[in-house]
Amino acid sequence: MTQPLLLDVRGLDGGYEPLQIFRKIDLQLAQGGAVGLFGPNGHGKTTFLRTLSGIIDPWDGNIFFEGVQLNRPGPRGSRRWRNFNYDAVTRRRMDAKAVARAGLIHVPQGNLLFPDMTVAETLSIAPYASSGRASASERLDYVFHLFPRVKERRTSKIRFLSGGERQMVAIGVGLMAAPKLLILDEPTLGLSPKLRGELSEAILTIRQSGVPLIVVDQDIAFLESLIDVLYLFDHGRISRRIEKADMPTHEEIMKLMFGEDHQ
Amino acid sequence: MTLDTIALILLGGVVLGALYALMATGLALVWTTLGIFNFAHGTFIALGAYIAWQIASTDAFGAGFVVGSLVSVIGMFLIGTAVYYLLIKPFERSPDIVVKSVITTLAGATILENLINIAWGPRNKQLGAVLTGDIQIIGLVISRNEAAAVAVSLLILAALGIFLQRAPLGRAMRAVAQNREAAQLMGIDVVRLYAVAFGLSAALAAIAGILIGSIRFMNPLMGSDPLMKALIVVIFGGIARFTGPIYAAFIVGLLEAFMTYAVGLYWSPTVLFVIMIVVLVAKPEGLFGKHRKSV
Ligand SMILES: Nc1ncnc2c1ncn2[C@@H]1O[C@H](COP(=O)(O)OP(=O)(O)OP(=O)(O)O)[C@@H](O)[C@H]1O
Ligand SMILES: [Mg+2]
Repeated sequence: MTQPLLLDVRGLDGGYEPLQIFRKIDLQLAQGGAVGLFGPNGHGKTTFLRTLSGIIDPWDGNIFFEGVQLNRPGPRGSRRWRNFNYDAVTRRRMDAKAVARAGLIHVPQGNLLFPDMTVAETLSIAPYASSGRASASERLDYVFHLFPRVKERRTSKIRFLSGGERQMVAIGVGLMAAPKLLILDEPTLGLSPKLRGELSEAILTIRQSGVPLIVVDQDIAFLESLIDVLYLFDHGRISRRIEKADMPTHEEIMKLMFGEDHQ
Repeated sequence: MTLDTIALILLGGVVLGALYALMATGLALVWTTLGIFNFAHGTFIALGAYIAWQIASTDAFGAGFVVGSLVSVIGMFLIGTAVYYLLIKPFERSPDIVVKSVITTLAGATILENLINIAWGPRNKQLGAVLTGDIQIIGLVISRNEAAAVAVSLLILAALGIFLQRAPLGRAMRAVAQNREAAQLMGIDVVRLYAVAFGLSAALAAIAGILIGSIRFMNPLMGSDPLMKALIVVIFGGIARFTGPIYAAFIVGLLEAFMTYAVGLYWSPTVLFVIMIVVLVAKPEGLFGKHRKSV
């Protein structure tokens, strides 16, 4: 018997009613693998990831995680019902809590975390998601080892942290949950080159320790160092799947995505 | 004003303050976690008192004060969660949940009030004093019953404070309040936590109702004046910290006691509101709130 894929996304449709943002997304991730998503701003990468983790419901298609279906099977409710209050008349098709507890951990883009809680308190909540997969104190040591800065600031409230520090805490929170698959949505967005380097290195360390990843980033070189397969995301569709061996250069990708005559 | 009068006023103020603190903390719990204001909180107070009366009073089931209180607190916890699922949850992701919940909780308050009226009638009832006699503290004579009410309030508030600060469930509750989506992604069951917060708030209302019923008297509208005071307290104290409304409750309680003495029962709410407006204009985050603009 072959091992099931870690993540198997089949024909996923979704968006913000009534606006469809992405359609027919197919994405496969083998055990122990890592994939990158690359695409222009506003084309729906974040929306797709929010659907994966159950924050918003998929419209169509299926999501399997370690062979287990995460979404409620069957088609979405009929159009007539969509005019009524979704939270009252429709059963949710995904459950974010269950997804997190299954080990699919999503570190969202620009995570603001909990402004009035301290770093240590924030990290202490994570066992809800790890649901017994790992010992909290060991995970904490690992996070502090990876991000010494987080350890230094553990008694500070989140709202007093810098953007880079907050991003470190956000990734730390993800690690505390003992992820079987870690989703990082633009982890280095808006950081100074120095911090970006520090964070990239930490993510590389996480990858080398064997954690499967889905990473969205605008830096092809960084993605290339991290992943086995690159998906190009274009207007809410996967326009190409590229193996690491034939990874194109940045210019080639720009050409692929925007055509020959793009400046 | 003799020293004795001042002592009496102080005592009255402290008793009021303890009750307001219980109610305001219940309100603030829902306000901070769900971001809504529960207008049915006053009716929860009355319903809690009547359930306790029904079980405890010798005119009804006669099971005694302790059993009555327990049934009332647990019952109100369940009723609170039910009210959440029926009146709040359907709007959980609606951007104007604040407005919609004002309407639904006001409606819920009216419905419950009428049910109380049908079940128990509009006439005043008394739960009766649990403890009789007086005790002396630093030369002051205090009724045991009132002293116990204050002590119970403070104990419950302390327990709640420790729960929110230290217990995983309490921490998760604060987390949900600050960032619902991030909390969901961390595996927290947001809907269940909201229901628990609402239930806890209703249980606190029940305790307040029981205490009022035991040191004063009860009627179907007994919660509406305390609800207004609790609202003042929450706004006055700010919700940035758990302790904000508690300090404010004692300040409002003492102010009310002095005002009632100085300007009479009729004018004291007016003066209280004037003071509240002045505080709000000067410090919109509340007396003990810190400004939250910094990132
Ligand atoms: N809450 C929302 N409600 C409605 N539309 C939204 C919402 N959030 C995002 N959108 C729309 O969905 C589209 C896709 O946004 P999304 O954030 O998924 O893009 P992205 O690929 O992650 O972009 P970026 O690279 O800038 O992060 C955008 O056009 C945006 O306007
Ligand atoms: Mg994005």
